[in-house]
Amino acid sequence: MPEKSKSSVVKKLRATAQASAYQKQWFFDLKQQVELGAEFAYLNADVPMEIFRAMDIPFVVNQWWAAICGAKQMSSKYYELLRRAGYRDDLCSYCATAFAESLDPDDRKTDAQGKPLGPWGGLPQPTLAVTRLTCDCQAKIFELFARQHGATFYAMENTVARKVPLDWFDEIEDDWESFYDTDRLDLAVEELKQMIRFLETKTGKMFDINRLAEVMELVNEQELWYKKTRDLIAQCAPVPVTVVDTINAVMQAQWQRGTRWAADHARGLYEEIKALADSGEAAVPNEKYRLMWLGRGIWHDFAFYQRFEQKYGAVFMWSMYLAMGADAYIRHNVQEDPLRALAARYIGLEDFLHMPPWNSRWYLQQAKQNRIDGVVYMVPENCMQAVEGSYFIKKTLEDAGIPVLIFKADPVDARKWNAQSMTELVEDFIENRIINKAGEQK
Amino acid sequence: MELRDCAANSTAFRRLLAAYENREMYLREWKEKGEKVIGVLGADVPEELLAAAGLHAVWIYALPGGNLPLADQYLEYAFDPMVRAEFEKLVDGTYGALLDGIVISNSTDVLIRLYLYLRELKRTEPERALPDVAYIDWLFSRNLLYQQYNEKTLARFREQVEIWAGRSVSDEEIVEASSLCNRRRQALRTLNALRTAVPPRVSGSEMLVAIGSGLFMDVCEHAQLIEQLAQEAASWPELEGVRLYYTGSAQVTTELYQMIERSGYVIVGEDHDWGDRFYERDTNTDLPVLRALVDRYMLREFSSKKSLVAQRVKALDGLVKTAGAEAVLFFTHVYEEPASWDYPSQRESLHSSGIGTIHAAKMHWPLTAQECAELKDKLLAHLQARQEGK
Ligand code: SF4
Repeated sequence: MPEKSKSSVVKKLRATAQASAYQKQWFFDLKQQVELGAEFAYLNADVPMEIFRAMDIPFVVNQWWAAICGAKQMSSKYYELLRRAGYRDDLCSYCATAFAESLDPDDRKTDAQGKPLGPWGGLPQPTLAVTRLTCDCQAKIFELFARQHGATFYAMENTVARKVPLDWFDEIEDDWESFYDTDRLDLAVEELKQMIRFLETKTGKMFDINRLAEVMELVNEQELWYKKTRDLIAQCAPVPVTVVDTINAVMQAQWQRGTRWAADHARGLYEEIKALADSGEAAVPNEKYRLMWLGRGIWHDFAFYQRFEQKYGAVFMWSMYLAMGADAYIRHNVQEDPLRALAARYIGLEDFLHMPPWNSRWYLQQAKQNRIDGVVYMVPENCMQAVEGSYFIKKTLEDAGIPVLIFKADPVDARKWNAQSMTELVEDFIENRIINKAGEQK
Repeated sequence: MELRDCAANSTAFRRLLAAYENREMYLREWKEKGEKVIGVLGADVPEELLAAAGLHAVWIYALPGGNLPLADQYLEYAFDPMVRAEFEKLVDGTYGALLDGIVISNSTDVLIRLYLYLRELKRTEPERALPDVAYIDWLFSRNLLYQQYNEKTLARFREQVEIWAGRSVSDEEIVEASSLCNRRRQALRTLNALRTAVPPRVSGSEMLVAIGSGLFMDVCEHAQLIEQLAQEAASWPELEGVRLYYTGSAQVTTELYQMIERSGYVIVGEDHDWGDRFYERDTNTDLPVLRALVDRYMLREFSSKKSLVAQRVKALDGLVKTAGAEAVLFFTHVYEEPASWDYPSQRESLHSSGIGTIHAAKMHWPLTAQECAELKDKLLAHLQARQEGK
């Protein structure tokens, strides 16, 4: 089967290109603002960024920036800088990228041709660095990053869920209060208030609860479009788009959540994919096997996801990036208590991503909804936060008849990535665990 | 363990060593008498609450070596080797019916994961017959909000302890148990003063036995033996060697310490959970009981796992100074990563005060022959450099 439509659809998805263009322009505008003296926060992905949005404090998200640096092939240089400064160069690559960048004396310089040496000319100088204590290393890395930039460091705590609901995804949007331990939610609300007081003091801006309610409603609107998009893709066979389209389109807009642009972009993404689906467009016209990708994206080798399309008709059609927006972010009944609704979003991130059975049951439900034939699961080697019960996840899926391939890799460190051996591993999985199984069944 | 004559001739030390080397000795005795025993995983479980309820606490431990098929099956690569071995023992039935419950504190990420996995195993594979697992979810960041939340967390743990004990536990009992634990801490401090003395009379490996035996024996008996030992050791022969401070991975046996001490050093202090950190800071018996426990466990010296780099730099500088150390060994096991982020700043600060450092990261457990040889070389090179005045 010719590969024609696969790449043409991928490259023509307007929403992905729009998101990239918007993101780039937004970043350069941000740099300008920071150069003019604006406060600028650098946040870890699990920090409740809606507060910063509501307070009009510009921010960049660590994981997004690590992905940009990874895509710009900066990792080898950065790890050398870490090593020279006495740090291990094989640790926490995803989270330490920006700290490593901060050690680069050339970050904001240009080469002889005037080309910037740092990614997009380098990260502007943050005045705030905020993270949560969701792993033992994160706060240290943020603290070092803050020290390097002369920024103020702030950390929020993390609590472990005592409740272990099985099928939370069915009702959590409306009934979120009942899914979390009350004292955890109470604490999270108090932590939000504490952080707001800190931000008010630091920036001189006043927090407005009504503005937060608006932001929360915009987030709900955006995530509802993701839900529709996810459901639409799940229904289609062949699928009109792959994870290569959706990851970038969604992840970039997700970090803009709470803005009108992001909500509109999510709607545009849905409408575009719907039009493709309505016109019978197929990302991989010879689609035979539907693959689920578990784990962080391979930012330095996105083409990896497409290497199995032509040969096997195997399409990576599911990743958490779209589905978590669809199932884990929406919190209705915002008006009553916007801070509590926000608390019920951000404390749950660790639960549903990194804690069995929250995660395993969700992956199973998603695999079923999306009629998944096989799961490829990347487990980072040295990230304790991403240690999320891979045994339980694999068992839950395989008990339901869905084969799982687990392999070690690093989402941003290209040095540890061997494209050929990884491709062979997945090929072997497709041939021996999916095709053979399908053949047997047929 | 190789013993100095003074230690070998000490009844107190021999009894402590017996408990240290036969870690199930007391556990089996207690079970034979029908008493209840709780396995402890993580250094932030308030022993006072267990003691107040008449429950014996034993630390879950494992020794290096051997196959770990269940750990390999259930755990990811990022679990450090010691925790892997502990998990194996918990799941393979080694502890069997010896434990009436397990309590895990969130002292490191890896223990948090271990708790989540045990909880999920109990749910999905009930045939494994694991004991009840309780969890203490401390918030170690120092502010009032978290301090007050910690009191609620401990109140919940107190309820669990009461369930295990089958009775309620009064404030008076907690105060009494706190006093007993404080007495033991004070005895250990007295003994340790002989290690930090100039010159020292107690070695690092002897101190490791003195402390570690307490993780497996009755609190009162341990306190008495340490008091007795502290008196005897005051006249033990003086030790020679470069005064070394150890920071990093917990040492649950004396092998590494002995190897270091044979290489011309005396380990005068350490910051791991099987060492000095165990008896640091008393529980204030004048405060309301839960607040007093929060105060002790939340405000102890910063552990490398739950603190910031600046806090760890300050902590280590202070500990090294108090111990009168001349050099510091940074030693971490493979996959035990957080301290790696502290190390460059700590080294810089120590060097600025003229304290030398030796570094060994990503060490296997047990050490491979090559790692052992390389570490000896580093220790020797450091001694030579000192002699040459570098
Ligand atoms: S352990 Fe994982 S989440 Fe934590 S800092 Fe390292 S890479 Fe990041």
